[in-house]
Amino acid sequence: MHEYSIACEIYEQVIATARAHGASEVRAVTLQMGRLTHTNPEQLKFCFDVLAEGSIAKGAEFLVEMIPPNVECECGYRGTVDTPGKPAGKSEEDRGEGGGKSGSENGNETGLHQSELLEYVAALNCPACGRAARITGGQELIIKTIDIETEAETEAETDNKF
Amino acid sequence: MLMHVINVGHDVFAANDKLAEKNRKSLDKHGVLAVNIMGAIGSGKTTLIEEAIKALKDKYRIAVIAGDVIAEMDASRFRKLEVPTVPANTGKECHLDAKIVEKALKEIDLKNTDLLIIENVGNLICPVDFKLGEHLRIVAVSVTEGDDIILKHPMIFKTAELAIINKIDLAAAVDVDPEKMVSDIQALNPEVPILLTSKHSRESLDLWVATLEAGLESR
Ligand SMILES: Nc1nc2c(ncn2[C@@H]2O[C@H](COP(=O)(O)OP(=O)(O)O)[C@@H](O)[C@H]2O)c(=O)[nH]1
Ligand SMILES: [Mg+2]
Ligand SMILES: [Zn+2]
Repeated sequence: MHEYSIACEIYEQVIATARAHGASEVRAVTLQMGRLTHTNPEQLKFCFDVLAEGSIAKGAEFLVEMIPPNVECECGYRGTVDTPGKPAGKSEEDRGEGGGKSGSENGNETGLHQSELLEYVAALNCPACGRAARITGGQELIIKTIDIETEAETEAETDNKF
Repeated sequence: MLMHVINVGHDVFAANDKLAEKNRKSLDKHGVLAVNIMGAIGSGKTTLIEEAIKALKDKYRIAVIAGDVIAEMDASRFRKLEVPTVPANTGKECHLDAKIVEKALKEIDLKNTDLLIIENVGNLICPVDFKLGEHLRIVAVSVTEGDDIILKHPMIFKTAELAIINKIDLAAAVDVDPEKMVSDIQALNPEVPILLTSKHSRESLDLWVATLEAGLESR
């Protein structure tokens, strides 16, 4: 299970950053995850929770923001892929040949299962010229921020306080 | 008690890519061509590697990183052919990453190596997200996996630099049209070279070997 090794890296990075800022506790971890990564956010959260047990990150909130896929083409076209099944986006015009694959479960943010999304994006042709598009975004997994608590005396003046 | 929000901005995959870049540099420094062979368990990765070793080992110095789940089993097949082999899977990994390869590279005499062949974990999903520092990303698929296997795993074919459709001797027996597999790959990745191979066809294996040799010659 690939999520475990990724969770290990996130955990180490979170703890190292928290320590460097004199944290006594980590309250939240916010990630940005590209929709095209082969990573399951729930499994990742589960692994992180297990790893954080007994550490200063125990019980931290684990938030995952999803990043939509981006494509680019030789002809100069660049765009964010507005996945089918999602109600109204800006670039409605061209949905390529995948137009019929609209997702059934509308509660889901993308309207597509991960596997369907991968199929859809990988097979996507450039809406401007029809050539196979190159994927340029949606494959990242970024630790964006951590929310920490410090004892009043240990100071890191530069950070946003609230 | 004070609350702070700390910006971290650490990209897990970018960190792997950076390490892959470092691997690539040490390979390049020693003029080693590294190929990463991905594909399901049983697709024929080890067989294709064995054939390449047999055909090329008198002319080039070859080393192998055996990374599939039963690394020791594959490694003993490679050692029989008398090439230095590093098993690099404890049985737990679902993909190789740049860190595992970095460690394996320490056990390889890069100065005396021309071709490094890395057999990845038998899995069409997890290896996609992890670069290793290789020069050529190869995916091997066999006709026995069914002719919808490509569309079910689009990302690995989209990002491959060489695609091999193996076991074509069995195509009729499993009712699969290899040409459909070719066109599925081309739809995802129009530029990728595609080889059709069978371990029973010398001619097809020669083409596979020639592809590697062309890479070695243009190092
Ligand atoms: N008929 C046939 N069998 C093959 C071919 N290539 C490999 N095999 C067989 O498929 C099985 C799995 O091959 P192996 O190389 O171990 O696959 P790996 O798990 O991807 O490394 C072995 O029994 C091979 O002999 C082929 O082209 N045709
Ligand atoms: Mg094998
Ligand atoms: Zn275009």
